[in-house]
Amino acid sequence: MLYDALIAPFAEFEFMRRALVGVFALALGGAPVGVFLMLRRMSLTGDAMAHAILPGAALGFLVAGLDLFAMTLGGIVAGVTVAVGAGFIARATQLKEDASLAAFYLVSLALGVTIVSLKGSNVDLLHILFGTVLALDNATLYLLSGIATVTLLVLAVSWRPLVLECVDPLFLRSVSRAGAPVHFAFLTLMVINLVGGFHALGTLLAVGLMMLPAATARFWATDITRMIAIAIGAAILSGIVGLLVSYHAGVPAGPAIILTAGVVYAVSVVLGPVGGLRRRLVPGRHLEA
Amino acid sequence: MTAALAFRDLTLGYDRHPAVHHLNGAVEEGALLAVVGPNGAGKTTLLKGIVGALRPLAGKIELGRVRVRDIGYLPQAAEIDRSFPISVYDLVAMGLWRSAGLTGGIGRADRVRLDQAISAVGLAGFESRAIGTLSVGQMQRALFARLLLQDAQVILLDEPFAALDAKTVSDLLDLVRRWHGERRTVLAVLHDIELVRARFPETLLLAREPVAWGQTLEVLTPENLLSARRMCEVFHDDAAVCEDAA
Amino acid sequence: MRLRTILAALAVLAGAIAASAQEKVLVVATFSILGDFVKNVGGDRVALEVLVGPNGDAHVYSPSPSDAKKLAAAKVVFTNGLRLEGWIDRLVKAAGSRAAVVTATKGIAPIEAAERSGHKAEHGTDPHAWQSVANAKIYVTNVRDGLIAVDPAGRATYEKNARDYLAQLDALEAEVKAEVARIEPERRRIITSHDAFGYFRAAYGVQFIAPQGVSTDAEASAKDVAAIIRQIRRQRIPAVFLENISDPRLLQRIADETGARIGGTLYSDALSDEKGPAASYIDMMRHNVKELKAALTS
Repeated sequence: MLYDALIAPFAEFEFMRRALVGVFALALGGAPVGVFLMLRRMSLTGDAMAHAILPGAALGFLVAGLDLFAMTLGGIVAGVTVAVGAGFIARATQLKEDASLAAFYLVSLALGVTIVSLKGSNVDLLHILFGTVLALDNATLYLLSGIATVTLLVLAVSWRPLVLECVDPLFLRSVSRAGAPVHFAFLTLMVINLVGGFHALGTLLAVGLMMLPAATARFWATDITRMIAIAIGAAILSGIVGLLVSYHAGVPAGPAIILTAGVVYAVSVVLGPVGGLRRRLVPGRHLEA
Repeated sequence: MTAALAFRDLTLGYDRHPAVHHLNGAVEEGALLAVVGPNGAGKTTLLKGIVGALRPLAGKIELGRVRVRDIGYLPQAAEIDRSFPISVYDLVAMGLWRSAGLTGGIGRADRVRLDQAISAVGLAGFESRAIGTLSVGQMQRALFARLLLQDAQVILLDEPFAALDAKTVSDLLDLVRRWHGERRTVLAVLHDIELVRARFPETLLLAREPVAWGQTLEVLTPENLLSARRMCEVFHDDAAVCEDAA
Repeated sequence: MRLRTILAALAVLAGAIAASAQEKVLVVATFSILGDFVKNVGGDRVALEVLVGPNGDAHVYSPSPSDAKKLAAAKVVFTNGLRLEGWIDRLVKAAGSRAAVVTATKGIAPIEAAERSGHKAEHGTDPHAWQSVANAKIYVTNVRDGLIAVDPAGRATYEKNARDYLAQLDALEAEVKAEVARIEPERRRIITSHDAFGYFRAAYGVQFIAPQGVSTDAEASAKDVAAIIRQIRRQRIPAVFLENISDPRLLQRIADETGARIGGTLYSDALSDEKGPAASYIDMMRHNVKELKAALTS
């Protein structure tokens, strides 16, 4: 019985196995990036990025027609330009990250709409660019795995300056010139995780699996390494359960996974030991020291 | 004696308004220098300039035998993101930057130094606490521990004792004295004139422009202090372009 | 004086006869396929207006004021009937048209509509009678008779045009049967969300199976995809013609996992525009059969 409910769907259907691998890869690459985004108060960047990539995708469309590879590549270029440009302005001027990014992505979106209208057709480019977790072909799986690998490698190498940049940027500046390059490398990681995620899985799933597990982990850990581990775990759990819900109950796959992640998040808000509602609702007795 | 730091007609500021105006002088190696002055005198700005966070509007800063990354800098604690989830241990460990670098491991010798630094500032037992749970005093102690680990030749302290209780101040001052004994150059921006008179042999009285620089007792006269206060109250929105040069 | 009046009257009459000989008969056809039949039978004698143009959907068409105007001026309106155009009766009345209304499917034995999701929510007859060429011939004869009724002067032309066109349809019928015969019998089935091929199936023996699940444009669920894969595997369906799955990657995944082939576009309810592969009825049937054969022959 339990086998039928939990294992059989994956055993019987290849698309289910592929979806699982895809979610795995996205969790490994996207969840750590999401934790950093959350800690840097950039949680809404994902949605901004979904709009910012339009001119890149549009240019890819102008050059190569409805070729997914060209459009995705264009999207990545546009995304990196917007993210790094916004980051640079935020560092070099008094404008903060959020305003800088807002300015960039709005201009980018308008540019994209203009480019699309030049070609005359009313094609909903972004709709075409966004995939679904149930349709992962080999190329897409390689893309997701590649992104996860690159992300983990870059994070491993730039761990210290990245953390320092978040906690005490002045100190970092005084001991090293790695601050700016590391920051831009992080922004690039964010863009490839997002755009790759859009291409493979659609916006909802890509952004959702980045940010919801990060928010969840906030309530279970006081240390960033553990936070990232919990975020990855939450993402994978949401993926598995969400796919099973979609399989048994007929809920669309992407939303099912995100709804599951949402439930995990809600449970964490209430029951999480760190900074959640639990201590408010049930204060418990205080310690000796 | 050689100069650890030298200022040549240095002007630092924001948006073309000078916060430090035409500063000339040198800090000898091994000096224990207090930088005092009224609010808005440019003291924090001066430290930021030394450490490279601010580019001079005019003039230059010469760094003697050290590079910027060999300077130990303690900014005002408000600039640190206390909500970030790292432990006291990890915060202090940042001081090992010079030896561990980007990816280098932290060896056993380093760990011993880490533990010693944490004990030296009286934070033994706090290693795994998140920095967000520390009081102001405990945070300052942690930052001093980090400074200890940095093993820097030049140390800059920006308002290190603000809002601390007497015991903490006294403990940290002992560390400063230790550094001075080890012939490190220490600059400290301070508000407490009495503390400066008691513990710091050399003082720079800054009120955007240098009012006096030298032996503490000669610098901190009532006349000097009065003129410093007067000089500082000026900040014109439509000031004319400055024609002076040193 | 009387003579002058008579001569004047004769002149006017002659003019009227001459004018009417050059003046085309205004006719309206409700949708593109029917319009094609009317064009072939009517030839130059008719000025044809089609309400639901190429690639249009006659099931859910909402008429505009210019349609009413066309109807008001027309001599005859050709409809499909069989409940295809639910909107036509009201439109004719609202237009105040005194045109004759001809139901082109008169005499065709209707088929029950298959139960499917999508357009045909109601049970009842399947209106897509033209999918069988034999039925198309009945359409043509009805059109011919309808034109003759309102324009007796053109009887000879209409009868000749109809004869020629019917001959073409006979050739088409033979062609379709021959092509289908080239497909192995156990491969004569596809999955499609089109619900318009009931008559084709009855006439030529190809099965058009409805997909279980994945019926709309909305995002697919794992359950839907699993259902359709199971169905394709179980019923050993060799090809999928699922144009309503907007994500080509999903379609490819289903094809990869079942070994089915992805078919091209099938035209069921309307002709394509002039540049498309189904600009006339005969082209449409040829195109559909070609697509079917390409997908189903191993």
